[in-house]
Amino acid sequence: MLFRLECRKIIRSAAFLIYCVISVLFFATNYYNDCKGGVYISSGEYKIVEDHDLIMDGAVNMLAGEYTSNKYVCYPFGFYKAVHLRESKQEKIAAYLKEITGTDGKEFEALFSGGEKYYTGSSDQPIYSFDSIPVAEGFSYDRFREIMADVDDMLGGGSYYDPETLVYNYSRVPMTEDEAQAEYDSFLKEDRITGGLARLFSDYAGIDLGILPVFAAAYLTSADRKRRMHEVVYTKSISSFRLVFTRYAALVFTMFIPVFLEMVAALIQALFEYPGQDMDIPVMFTLPTFWLLPILMFAAAMGVVITEIFSPATAIFTQVVIWFMSTMMGSAELCGKIGRFTLICRHNSPANRAEFLMNQDNFIFSRFFWAAVSIVLVMIAAYVYEAKRGGRFNAIKLFGKGGILRRKA
Amino acid sequence: MLSSCLARVVSSDVKHNFLIHYLAAAAVLLATPVLFGLAELDSRMSAQPLEIMPPLMGLILLTPLFSPEQNEGILETVRSKRMSRQLVTLLRVICALVLLAILVCTLGGYMRYNDCDVTAKMLAGTFAGAAALGALGFFVSAFTDNVIAGYMVSIMYFIMNLFLKNKLGKFCLMSMSFNIEGSKPVLAVSAVVLIAAALLFRKLFRNES
Repeated sequence: MLFRLECRKIIRSAAFLIYCVISVLFFATNYYNDCKGGVYISSGEYKIVEDHDLIMDGAVNMLAGEYTSNKYVCYPFGFYKAVHLRESKQEKIAAYLKEITGTDGKEFEALFSGGEKYYTGSSDQPIYSFDSIPVAEGFSYDRFREIMADVDDMLGGGSYYDPETLVYNYSRVPMTEDEAQAEYDSFLKEDRITGGLARLFSDYAGIDLGILPVFAAAYLTSADRKRRMHEVVYTKSISSFRLVFTRYAALVFTMFIPVFLEMVAALIQALFEYPGQDMDIPVMFTLPTFWLLPILMFAAAMGVVITEIFSPATAIFTQVVIWFMSTMMGSAELCGKIGRFTLICRHNSPANRAEFLMNQDNFIFSRFFWAAVSIVLVMIAAYVYEAKRGGRFNAIKLFGKGGILRRKA
Repeated sequence: MLSSCLARVVSSDVKHNFLIHYLAAAAVLLATPVLFGLAELDSRMSAQPLEIMPPLMGLILLTPLFSPEQNEGILETVRSKRMSRQLVTLLRVICALVLLAILVCTLGGYMRYNDCDVTAKMLAGTFAGAAALGALGFFVSAFTDNVIAGYMVSIMYFIMNLFLKNKLGKFCLMSMSFNIEGSKPVLAVSAVVLIAAALLFRKLFRNES
């Protein structure tokens, strides 16, 4: 009964309408647009191969160029940043380069004076690039990764030497025609079309689901406060635990409706694009649900708990920061990089089944982990609600009257 | 007499209602050199920080301008005053836009000082984009009577710009980064239209004089 009432309240709110419009717009402009005309995998598209020689060769030449120019390009927050190192750190890099190339003294200087020189932007400092710096014979890849990790640390992260992205940065090779055909066959036969499409769908939908629910949760709470409903609800006999969980369940349920309808739309599109082909229809619903529901649950739970403890604005700010960190940082690699604690999993391709399966354990773990975190957060929210209801707690205000950061007169 | 009255309105509004938003917008400005490299960039690279950070300032400054009266108690008090509410809102918009212009110019000045290829035209375009995003939040919060809805639409529009890139055509906030011609005048006009529409809507449907 309460669940139905709450669902009706959410569906009639302006926030839900805006949520639906934005969600559909995202779906139409991203997924639907990408899949129009069917999936096309051509030769010349890049695929990742873990070739250690290729990685070491690419990274050492890149490092040589950046070291000689003393201008290291990094993307610590997903945006361009040029880092210039102090003399002592430059010397450390030089020592690493000597170790990797197996050269010393004059030999090293001769090797590093042969770079191609050019200028970029409005800078009068030259940039150098190298393509023939050799790696010492038999140099171990493990040691190389250690060095790269230290270099990346010195640069503050997000550099071209981050051990996590070495494979992506230096070991991508264009697919041959046969390989592209094999990839397409895998999309048709192993993924049975919908498997690949479901991954692409989830990838796109996860971006907006990582943030939109927090607004709806904050909106509903602020609407309650505005209409002074708290006082009325506080006096009812329903337990705080049941009330908070019912409201949360209603929030998650209603917000999943547009996502479900988008799955139906995606399936209809697939049926039109691949008429008469063998398809695994249930996977178009099961995979996105498993993938997206924890994201939606977490964003909504954050909205509920932080609004309850602090304020709606704090909830929005916190979730924006979390969303930014999970999507924008390390955004170069959109395929095959799913960690055990990744909230918004990315796999921006209907193909590359093998890369996705490589991280399947991490993927499954992360889904259960975030779902469990969400439930714990809602339990905290219920506890806080109970404390507020009993008059033992009155939310932590940061600013304004009674705020902890307010300047005392 | 009138000017001193208006000055009192502005100073009291800034002190009690919007100082925290002004500080937040300034914090976005201070965060820019942390997130981006701002030295020796060509015009295309300079466009990236200019088209990502100032729109955030715009949405922080313009979206919450109706928030003080969301509290029913304050609304009732404000309604009993002779002072036109539309005038007060307009003063808030002007203050927010002036501060936005100062922040954009400061960012541009800092970048120029660091040998970036930033022109006055680029700064004008940056201001137009920032004002347009803020005006969108302002309009939605005026329309729905809820500031959170305003933030929701403006933040999501910003995110759509990050992901859809040039698919938004002339309404793209990051037109300098993606080389879209003629977008900034469209954004400037949109900002003016949205602010005017919000005020008109409040006048006609919320009985604000």
